[in-house]
Amino acid sequence: DLLQWPQISKCRSPEMETFSCFWTAGNLYNLTVPRILQLLYKKSNEEDWKECPDYITSGQNSCYFNASYTSVWTPYCVQLASKNEVYDKKCFSVDEIVLPDPPIHLNWTLLNTSQTGIHGDIQVRWDPPPTADVRKGWITLEYELQYKEVNETKWKELKPRLSTMVPLYSLKTARDYEIRIRSRQRTSEKFGEFSEILYVSFSQIGIGCDHCTEEVEFPWFLVVVFGVCGLAVTVISIMLSKQPRLKMLIFPPVPVPKIKGIDPDLLKKGKLDEVNSILACHDNYKTQLYIDDLWVEFIELDIEDPHEKNRASDTDRLLSEDHLKSHSSLGAKDDDSGRASCCEPDIPETDFSASDTCDATSDSDQFKKATEKEEDLLCLDRQDNDESLSSLANIDLQHQHRSTQSENSHLWAPFGESIESPHPSVRTQISNQNSLASTDFYAQVSDITPAGRVVLSPGQKSKLGRAQREGCTEQNFAMDNTYFCEADVKKCIAVTSHEENEPRVQEQGYNEDGYFTTESLTTTVANLGASTAAPPSSEMPVADYTSIHIVQSPQGLVLNATALPVPDKEFNVSCGYVSTDQLNKIMP
Amino acid sequence: GLLLAALLVSHMLLTKEGVTSMPICPSGSVNCQLSLEELFDRAVKLSHYIHYLSSEMFNEFDERYAQGRGFIAKAVNSCHTASLTTPEDKEQAQQIHHEDLLNLILGVLRSWNDPLVHLASEVQRIKEAPETILWKAVEIEEQNKRLLEGMEKIVGRVHSGEVENEIYTPWDGLPSLQLADEDSRLFAFYNLLHCLRRDSHKIDNYLKVLKCRLIHDNNC
Repeated sequence: DLLQWPQISKCRSPEMETFSCFWTAGNLYNLTVPRILQLLYKKSNEEDWKECPDYITSGQNSCYFNASYTSVWTPYCVQLASKNEVYDKKCFSVDEIVLPDPPIHLNWTLLNTSQTGIHGDIQVRWDPPPTADVRKGWITLEYELQYKEVNETKWKELKPRLSTMVPLYSLKTARDYEIRIRSRQRTSEKFGEFSEILYVSFSQIGIGCDHCTEEVEFPWFLVVVFGVCGLAVTVISIMLSKQPRLKMLIFPPVPVPKIKGIDPDLLKKGKLDEVNSILACHDNYKTQLYIDDLWVEFIELDIEDPHEKNRASDTDRLLSEDHLKSHSSLGAKDDDSGRASCCEPDIPETDFSASDTCDATSDSDQFKKATEKEEDLLCLDRQDNDESLSSLANIDLQHQHRSTQSENSHLWAPFGESIESPHPSVRTQISNQNSLASTDFYAQVSDITPAGRVVLSPGQKSKLGRAQREGCTEQNFAMDNTYFCEADVKKCIAVTSHEENEPRVQEQGYNEDGYFTTESLTTTVANLGASTAAPPSSEMPVADYTSIHIVQSPQGLVLNATALPVPDKEFNVSCGYVSTDQLNKIMP
Repeated sequence: GLLLAALLVSHMLLTKEGVTSMPICPSGSVNCQLSLEELFDRAVKLSHYIHYLSSEMFNEFDERYAQGRGFIAKAVNSCHTASLTTPEDKEQAQQIHHEDLLNLILGVLRSWNDPLVHLASEVQRIKEAPETILWKAVEIEEQNKRLLEGMEKIVGRVHSGEVENEIYTPWDGLPSLQLADEDSRLFAFYNLLHCLRRDSHKIDNYLKVLKCRLIHDNNC
């Protein structure tokens, strides 16, 4: 056995009027007489140690100091000794060792019950410990109440309070409860002993609801599980749903890189020249309005010095970039039509500065897509030729130019008129064209050199030659997306020298759709004596000239398929566009 | 943000020791006077608060500096207010006249004015003193002044006749708080805080006894 010295276990004052000290004897000696151990005490202002006045009142191994021996705020020292040996010593003051007795007379009363009778509220009352003189204010106590259900192990605590009554809410009437209370001095930390347990049983007062249904606790677990499942189902259904709006709302799409105005599919699948044109021109797009205005501007410029400029052929202009830039009028015209034709019309940016690329490609594009201005440009050579060759007066020139460059329909009328009158000019034009000296004609631009030069499609000269010599049997004519000016056709027709001369001089009314008036068309045809037979059949390009059925701006034209190869007809395909009506009249 | 504000407010309300500023007089009244009951209520609240603070401060100091130094054994030293004969048990407290008791309370409070000022300043020189101790020292000094004012008001109301000599005990413990030897200095602090806890408990008790006697007629 371990050796245990006698020691003072605690000193305690229940009411701040008396106090007691307790000790343990230990197993040091085989003590038969308990009085051998002595407790000596001393107040701070005294010199001698005195012996305990009362060994009995507080029980065995205790010393009781009654009120006469107790001074509250005076420091005491006590020591446990026997004869000459001091085993333990403690110093304290009475106000520090206050531990009140437990409260007494615990009882409870019913306040009310719930409507269902499952729960009830009670009020618990008690009296302060009898020893504590609370009434005179000598000691101030606070109480702590603890309660639990009978078969529970853990006590629930309420906050310490000064009052001697406390309500307990929402107790289950079907269960029994236990209540206990303890007290402490208000400024202390330690509590005294617990009171006796108070039993609360609702059935005793006839309210207990033994057959009441158990209150179902809130099924938190189920709620969480179902909530998670529902959320997952919702998310999955949104992800799989076909509704793009909902999907976009909850799962917004990650923006992919995109170049404005360019369809990524086109980049993947489109033809090279289409892609080239789009890429080159997509920021040079002008609206139709702008084009119109620009035409007007350039009209003026042209008029100002009509003879000064060296009227190089269009081809030369195309091939030399200097000319392109210097001749702003033409260049601009090229730009306009080119842009209009090659670029996506929905691009709002308009760039008046012409790029060589655009000009060049625009030429190729204008062969593909039909706009109003194309035929103007395409057949501008003719007017130029007229201008250069003929001895037309400036007025006529102006007429021509204006008619060429301004709005389509109504301008052609005066032109047509003017054309009609100068027959000789036409003839000279034809002859001039036949000479091929500096013949302006239009060919397909097949490529653009990095330097900005335009490479026309192969067989350009040979075209000319063939057109002249070999007739119009060349398959070049049948090249796709190739447009030939009326001049070429005339040449072709002239070369073949078809005898058939069906001067279908049909005085067709001026057709607003058509870019050439009927008169002009038919007169040239008549002059040329173009036959209807040969050229259309083999030489006439199958896919080249058709009437425009629908103009779909960004994508191009929907050509009237039925207008395509009409072998037997005088398909006097000009570089311009023939209206459907005209075409129908021409063809069977 | 709102939740944080709500939490802060509720914390402040919960940790308040009941020392709130109460309106002295109803608004608009010119010659307003607090009832004696009101004065005593406030005085008791203040004295309880001061005792609570000093008790906490002592415990913190004890935990932080006094462990292992054997201060407890030596803490039989008397406090500087020991010369004032105050009631030592319930009988004496019940027998003493209330005016005398009030004067005694005033005397103790006045005697503690000076030491509290020095305590607040000197405790900051303690090496690595915790913020809580520093704050409490300042707070106790402040509240003590307020309690003194309140007590003087009460004495003015209750006192019937001539004015007695002022009860007061001087304090000469400042040099001990400034000792060079750290052990001795800390023991001086320990002693002072021990005495402060004791005297604040005394005052709190006396005021409660007086309140029960004068206001509630011994039936609290």
